[in-house]
Amino acid sequence: MRWSRILRAIAYLAVGIMLVIQLYPIVWVAAASLKTPEELSNGAPFAMPAGFYIGNYIGAFSQSNLLRYLLNSTVVAVLTIIITIGLGAPAAYAIEKLRFPGAKLVLGYFLLGIMIPIFVTLLPMFQMFNAAGLRNTYWALVLPQVAFGLPLCIYLYTGFMRQVPDALLEAATIDGAGDLRIFLTIVFPLCGNVTVTIVTLSFLSVWNEFVFANTFMTAASMKTLPIGLNDFVGAYGKTDFGLTYAAIMVSILPTLILYFFLNKRVISGVAAGATK
Amino acid sequence: MSRSRSASAWLYVLPALILFTLLVIVPIIWSLSFSVFKWNGIGAKVFIGIGNYVRMWNDGLFRRAFVNNLIFAGLGTVVQVVLGMGMAILLMSITRFRDFVKVAYFIPCVISSVAICQIFAKLFALNPEGVFNALLGAAGLAAWKGAPLSDPHLALVIVTLVDAYKFCAIYMVIYFSAFMGIDAQLLEAAELDGANWWQRYVHVRFPMIRTVFLISLVVLISGTLKGFDVSYILTGGGPGASSELVSTYMYKTIFNSLNFGYGSAIAVFLAVECLLAVAIMQRLFRSSGQERM
Repeated sequence: MRWSRILRAIAYLAVGIMLVIQLYPIVWVAAASLKTPEELSNGAPFAMPAGFYIGNYIGAFSQSNLLRYLLNSTVVAVLTIIITIGLGAPAAYAIEKLRFPGAKLVLGYFLLGIMIPIFVTLLPMFQMFNAAGLRNTYWALVLPQVAFGLPLCIYLYTGFMRQVPDALLEAATIDGAGDLRIFLTIVFPLCGNVTVTIVTLSFLSVWNEFVFANTFMTAASMKTLPIGLNDFVGAYGKTDFGLTYAAIMVSILPTLILYFFLNKRVISGVAAGATK
Repeated sequence: MSRSRSASAWLYVLPALILFTLLVIVPIIWSLSFSVFKWNGIGAKVFIGIGNYVRMWNDGLFRRAFVNNLIFAGLGTVVQVVLGMGMAILLMSITRFRDFVKVAYFIPCVISSVAICQIFAKLFALNPEGVFNALLGAAGLAAWKGAPLSDPHLALVIVTLVDAYKFCAIYMVIYFSAFMGIDAQLLEAAELDGANWWQRYVHVRFPMIRTVFLISLVVLISGTLKGFDVSYILTGGGPGASSELVSTYMYKTIFNSLNFGYGSAIAVFLAVECLLAVAIMQRLFRSSGQERM
């Protein structure tokens, strides 16, 4: 019994050490963003801030396009999520519940997309968007992310719809409901949990996306938070460190807030999505 | 099903199908066709057959990026499996604060790679002195102080570790939920047979999550083979080409050197490499699975 108590103490100690490792970089940047210029230049890098100095945040917002980046990221995320679900859910419904000839083939075709690295599509997309005048518009980020988001979206929806009993849909058909009404009033509402999972997973991946944004958004006014932040650090990172830390915090706070409320969903969604 | 019903079913699929085809499948074919030309985007395309693929073979920078990428994938996979499994076992061994700890461990996964890279760039900085160098100084190892991100011997390892730091908690979640899914009766039976803590892992838990573990390896290796963000943002592939990966080299070849044909060939190589790696692993795992039965 004593042994087990010692072992348990060791386990909690190890859990604590790992907690410090996983959280330290974020706690450090949060602390550094609240330091005065004086503290940043003279204090030890691992010291805690003496007070609650918000000057860095004011400076970051006034000397950069952070607000614009926030807006751009939000618009791109909202459009991408709505369109992904708007296209993916009906497709999954047709594949899984209307079972038209070739449905399995279509599903396999979509699932191919999970394996494809985005890099092999980058130059052709660049040329397409260039020719269509879509570079430096929201569509240049929304369209590719919808296209690459559809496979996982359809995979998760079909997986759930498979468990919706056909008898339920047949009963509705007998009552005179058409396919569209069955989808809108029965199947899609039943998928609520899957929808929330897809919304959170898409939000995280779109909000943090780097490669498409870095390639298609070259106009300063169209940048999203990640590339805007990268530029900002490039411009101020060697002169005003306080601003840099504050800008980093502004870029991660929305995800942290969302994660605070939806962490169970995020974690179970990632587990479901990653082992597909 | 009647013919008209099947026709209307296509209406539900078609919008997704068209967008997916146009923006994922067509570009792949497009890249494939680019890869057999010498072309800078403005001048005439010159057909050179497999010339770009031969060039890759002879290109010292490409070979460096390829070898770097193998190290990035190999070391990254091992580190993430060890950290992910370690955290999963830690979670299994505590009863209080379990949910809180799990949620906290997962935080690096929800933050953008740009933010993570900028934070680590500051932690490793020499001027102003970051936490890393300050700790070396405090430990009396001032002679070891330096700028590890500018050190060609360290850059690739640091890029690999920062990438592993960002993603390892995904594997914790996967392993942990697999452990939780094991039938409790099996573990009780093992305990009644006198199996201790370690034996319950070796003889019950590890074998029971074998499939999930192999899937996680496939995800990890195919993911690290196409790794991009941390190398591109944290070190820009440098110093020199010391942390260049296949994808970052491809990106620079296309968008900095405007070498569209050669860059497309590298992109095709990367896609084929990832697909082959997955196919080989699936075949290996399937045959090793049959041997066990």
